[in-house]
Amino acid sequence: MLFHPISIILLLLTFMVQEFIPGLEIAQFATLFLPAVFFFSASVAAPFSMMLVLAFMTGFIWDARHLPGVVESLSGAEDVFGTGADLELGAGTHPLPFGLSIVLFGMLGRLLQGIRPLFKRGRLELPVLMVGLATFVWLLSQYLIITFLRGSLQFPAGVWSKMITDSLLAMLAAPLIFLLLYSLARLSSYEIKYEGLRYRFDGR
Amino acid sequence: MKKLNILALLIFVAGLVAVFTFDTATTRQIQSRVMSLLSPFIHSSAAMEQAAETAVAPQVNPVELKRENDEQRVQLERLRIIQQKYNQIIEENAKLRQIIEFKQSAPFKMTAAKVIRRSSSTWWNSLIIDKGSLDGIGTDSPVITSVGLVGKTSTLAPHMAKVILLTDEMCRVSAKIEGTLEQGILAGERAALEVRPELHLRFLNRNSNINAGAGVYSSGEGGVFPADLLLGRVKRFENREISGEAVIEPAVDFSTLDYVFVIEMQVAEPTLEPASTPARTKP
Repeated sequence: MLFHPISIILLLLTFMVQEFIPGLEIAQFATLFLPAVFFFSASVAAPFSMMLVLAFMTGFIWDARHLPGVVESLSGAEDVFGTGADLELGAGTHPLPFGLSIVLFGMLGRLLQGIRPLFKRGRLELPVLMVGLATFVWLLSQYLIITFLRGSLQFPAGVWSKMITDSLLAMLAAPLIFLLLYSLARLSSYEIKYEGLRYRFDGR
Repeated sequence: MKKLNILALLIFVAGLVAVFTFDTATTRQIQSRVMSLLSPFIHSSAAMEQAAETAVAPQVNPVELKRENDEQRVQLERLRIIQQKYNQIIEENAKLRQIIEFKQSAPFKMTAAKVIRRSSSTWWNSLIIDKGSLDGIGTDSPVITSVGLVGKTSTLAPHMAKVILLTDEMCRVSAKIEGTLEQGILAGERAALEVRPELHLRFLNRNSNINAGAGVYSSGEGGVFPADLLLGRVKRFENREISGEAVIEPAVDFSTLDYVFVIEMQVAEPTLEPASTPARTKP
């Protein structure tokens, strides 16, 4: 069963490729989040246990690479505005907790597994749409959690334009990743597409 | 649910609990390791970006280049003279301080760094520079240019560091307004990822008399950023429910950053050596 180890290697490769993908200045530096899109696509193709492995790896490496450094308090003192140095060090600004992406990817991966039967039948329309939706929900969840932790509800227009552009880019890349996964499955004799009792004409 | 799935779920939850219980040091170490592993790719992507820009950029006229070079030579000579005078003044100042036994504030060391690229992330406003922990840079060190404050360092790799920009909500600076006694906390807007977003100076007195165009400088109260670094200029003043708030236009254009300086303020021994290129400070 080569499909699963190769999926893991491909996932690791997406983190390397991600460094080469530029952001779109006109849409708040929106970009294609390749590891996330690969995970969402692979979670439709992989079984539950493999999906969890991929979710853990994607979330862990994503947080390690992209979350800002964790804030460490200089003093234990806490007041309304924090102590001066604590405040400049970022106390009260609450970056997302390290590991949160694992939870989000795990939950969204489980959701995407619901459309596996459709994907197995070779229908890509809904899976592609769902990958875009999952990207949007992932970004929105992160934003809402930041908003909740910092305690003030702000939704500037740029937030929406970024999330929508990111999701559209994810939907553009998803069919290519699905095709890659189909090819990989064919090469490794892994059954993604259920072909059941389809009649095959072998020419005789 | 299959037994294998239940087992996988249990392992997943156990792993998740382990990750959530990491302390700050472990998390920073993991982030640093991952950044180090990816650093060759970050460098390669920056090189590719630069090569593409060079290929697209119009050809440079050699006559124009020579003229620019001549101008810069003159400018360099002028700056050398100013530096000599500056050194003399510093020396004289140190002698006078010794005479009156004035307690000297700790000087700071500056490390020049090249901006590799701007990070495209989900909600964070950051860029990557080519100096890291092995170049003597620490976490939460101020990053400046000759114009003003850029931000502070965050995750460090051996020869690379992530800089949280001043425009990010996570970078907060104790600030004061030129020509007034007003002090507040300057921070960026949440998820304001455009090139030059507005900054907000909060916790000012209501009905303060603050003029548009007034300079905003770091106050040095927090101890992380040195005092009198230019942060921006007041665009307008707004009265909020509890306190006043000034909307600030950042001094630095974050889209055109090539080189920055990282300040290390932990230098213990006072020295007469002047800092190499200080940021524009309050006159």
